[in-house]
Amino acid sequence: MSSSPTEQATTAVDVVMPQMGVSVAEGTIVEWRKRPGDWIEADEPVCDVTTDKIDVEIPAPASGRMQEILVEPGTTVAVGTPLARIDAEAKPGEAHPDEHAANGGQPAAEAPPPRTEAAPPQAEQAPAPNGEEDRSRFYSPVVRRIADKHGVDLEQVKGTGIGGRVRKKDVLAYIEGQEGAPEGRPEPLLHIESPYRPDEADAPQPSEAGTEAAPAAPAGAPPPGVGELVGPTRREPMSVMRQAIARHMTGSRRTAAHCTTIVEADFARVAARRGELRDAMKRRGVSLTYLAFVARATVEALQEHPRLNASVDGDELVYHDDVNLGIAVALDDGLIVPVIRRAQRLSLEGMAAAISDVAERARAGKLDPDEVHGGTFTITNPGQFGAVLATPIINQPQVAILDLEAIVKRPVVVEGEDGDSIAIHPMTYLCMSWDHRALDGADAARFLAKVKARLETWEVSR
Amino acid sequence: MSAVEATGTAAAELASAPSGTREMTYLEAISDALRTEMRRDESVFCIGEDIGAFGGAFKVTDGFVEEFGADRCLDAPLAENAIIGTAVGAAVEGLKPVCEMQFADFISCGFDQLVNVAAKLHYRQGIAVPMVVRLPSGGGFSGGPFHSQNPEAWFVQAPGLKVVAPATASDAKGLLVSAIRDPNPVCYLEHKGLYRHIKDEVPEGEHAVPIGEARIARAGEEMTVVAYGSSVHLALRAGEELDEDIEVLDLRTLAPLDRQSILTSARKTGKVLVAHEATRSAGIGAEVAALVTEEAFEELDAPVRRLTAPDVPIPFSPPLEQSVLPQLDDMKEACRELLAY
Repeated sequence: MSSSPTEQATTAVDVVMPQMGVSVAEGTIVEWRKRPGDWIEADEPVCDVTTDKIDVEIPAPASGRMQEILVEPGTTVAVGTPLARIDAEAKPGEAHPDEHAANGGQPAAEAPPPRTEAAPPQAEQAPAPNGEEDRSRFYSPVVRRIADKHGVDLEQVKGTGIGGRVRKKDVLAYIEGQEGAPEGRPEPLLHIESPYRPDEADAPQPSEAGTEAAPAAPAGAPPPGVGELVGPTRREPMSVMRQAIARHMTGSRRTAAHCTTIVEADFARVAARRGELRDAMKRRGVSLTYLAFVARATVEALQEHPRLNASVDGDELVYHDDVNLGIAVALDDGLIVPVIRRAQRLSLEGMAAAISDVAERARAGKLDPDEVHGGTFTITNPGQFGAVLATPIINQPQVAILDLEAIVKRPVVVEGEDGDSIAIHPMTYLCMSWDHRALDGADAARFLAKVKARLETWEVSR
Repeated sequence: MSAVEATGTAAAELASAPSGTREMTYLEAISDALRTEMRRDESVFCIGEDIGAFGGAFKVTDGFVEEFGADRCLDAPLAENAIIGTAVGAAVEGLKPVCEMQFADFISCGFDQLVNVAAKLHYRQGIAVPMVVRLPSGGGFSGGPFHSQNPEAWFVQAPGLKVVAPATASDAKGLLVSAIRDPNPVCYLEHKGLYRHIKDEVPEGEHAVPIGEARIARAGEEMTVVAYGSSVHLALRAGEELDEDIEVLDLRTLAPLDRQSILTSARKTGKVLVAHEATRSAGIGAEVAALVTEEAFEELDAPVRRLTAPDVPIPFSPPLEQSVLPQLDDMKEACRELLAY
């Protein structure tokens, strides 16, 4: 479609592919939320666009009626390309079949006068194509109260009511399922509030890009004749995000000289401090996770060990004054690493708030594209399934990535005034992959020792 | 108890235990209650149109003149204001009149005596008015707009009156006995559709059901239907035919409402449908819905819903009347919707 806007009615307004952060040059249309003929309000999302970094909603530049869609879903176009046209002169009351449906079937009997300010019917209120509105994320008072009492994350509860609503019986069944689980079930891990949390705990996730996974198959086609031994298969194109992860991870493996160093850390004091602060923080709407403690300790250690807060640029090492901390957040299919800028200025509480903020917005697809760039160090935290060790891949061009895995209770030897004794403490392994081009094993070990010491001596009120 | 109502309870007078039960229709149970109380207490008498020699339009007082004499089963002129006014005077003087409105609809003519005089005498002057107004109510037989109404909400809004609406024969007897013994004016709604259709075991002899106590007609966990009168039976049948875990709470008394039973059931199930045959706006359903929302909001899993007649007069035409009055299918649909919510 090359017709220029000037050939259209003078009132048409173009929806163009926006500039999403400084680094993005093109975007791919995922889905149109409006069809030609639909009414749309200014700033209402008109379509979803994905880039190699992020998904965004494109807001309508003006109120009016969708006139024409110029770029079909799946097509990638450059920033600035017209995507659709909106007839800004259209009147909201004018009959259109879609609006009738959205309006409970009432005909728009009297057309309002031209340029009326009356609100048009909102397309969101229309039932979904299958006739049932999605009400799965509306929670009734009793459901909220029960969830609150039992600490249930309602996003995890499958709803069986109308439109997928979570009913009282659903949340009760969920709680019963948790309590009545067979004895063999592993003890719940201590940091399940981690932002690194896929939606469905029981569905094994594809290997996370933050950790190394054996390649599913050698590159290229299998040898002739092997295909039939595999049995029936299904092929799907990789999502844009999946492709980007694949590209970045293999690129990093080729680029960096990966080594992994592991220390064990005792979280007893962190757990105690978390217990002291958690309720107060929760009242302020912030969930205080173990990750926040690790992030805070990491930032402090990075300031003492600037070699790890660096990048490699050709034959040069670039040291960064600020700690821009990347936090890996798992999405439905893939992951994204939003960056908390100047993390050194954040207290523990500020860090917890910043982590939940970026994690929530990452899962909701509401990150600004610039928020996923410019990291100087990354923490990944996929421990909720109980894995205790991993060797993550460095997020280029950084020189190290710290992996926090499951925190589990273990018998440990504690030194007291009366000698050694055995106690049960929450323990974890801090696994850090680092780039041997930029630093050596001693640097990594010293840095990890600092993080460990900080965590193990966390100040506790009582 | 406030000055609005006189005190003294029927239960206190219930000395002797019932001697056994007998299956009776709803109509027979009303008759039995009247007869029992008139035999027990000489101050009880009936007054109404055609209730004497004719035995009443629905034959509730059939044979009463023969047993009790025309003085205790008075034929009144077609003047509801006079019937109720006479009853108020008799009650003030120490008798216990039971007025029969031939149809509940006609009580509008006696409204002033009931609402402004009987209901307020105790509040104004401390004078008890122990009288009952029997109100044959409800539609379903093509009686049209003047013979089918359910006027209970009018009286629930008049402080000083009590309002009862039994659904079973046993409660029809027990509540009428309690109404007669109550020192306050009581509106007794008897649904005409239940007269000969409902039959259950009724205690013989003295049998009083306390005013102000609802009854769980069917226990369940998934949702509650709060109902009274004919709607109780629709709810029970819906529960059976849907084979769902539906609780049916039979209010029995509409004023004073048994708030505790309503709230207990609402808190248990989290889903409440209020059903009545009366019109919708500002009715019992609205009152129950408001109560549940005010007091049990945090226990609710669904909006409180109502199944009622729309705000229209009752049509003569049978198909039109059927479409106006809640039917079994309407009840089932309302339950299904709420269960699925």
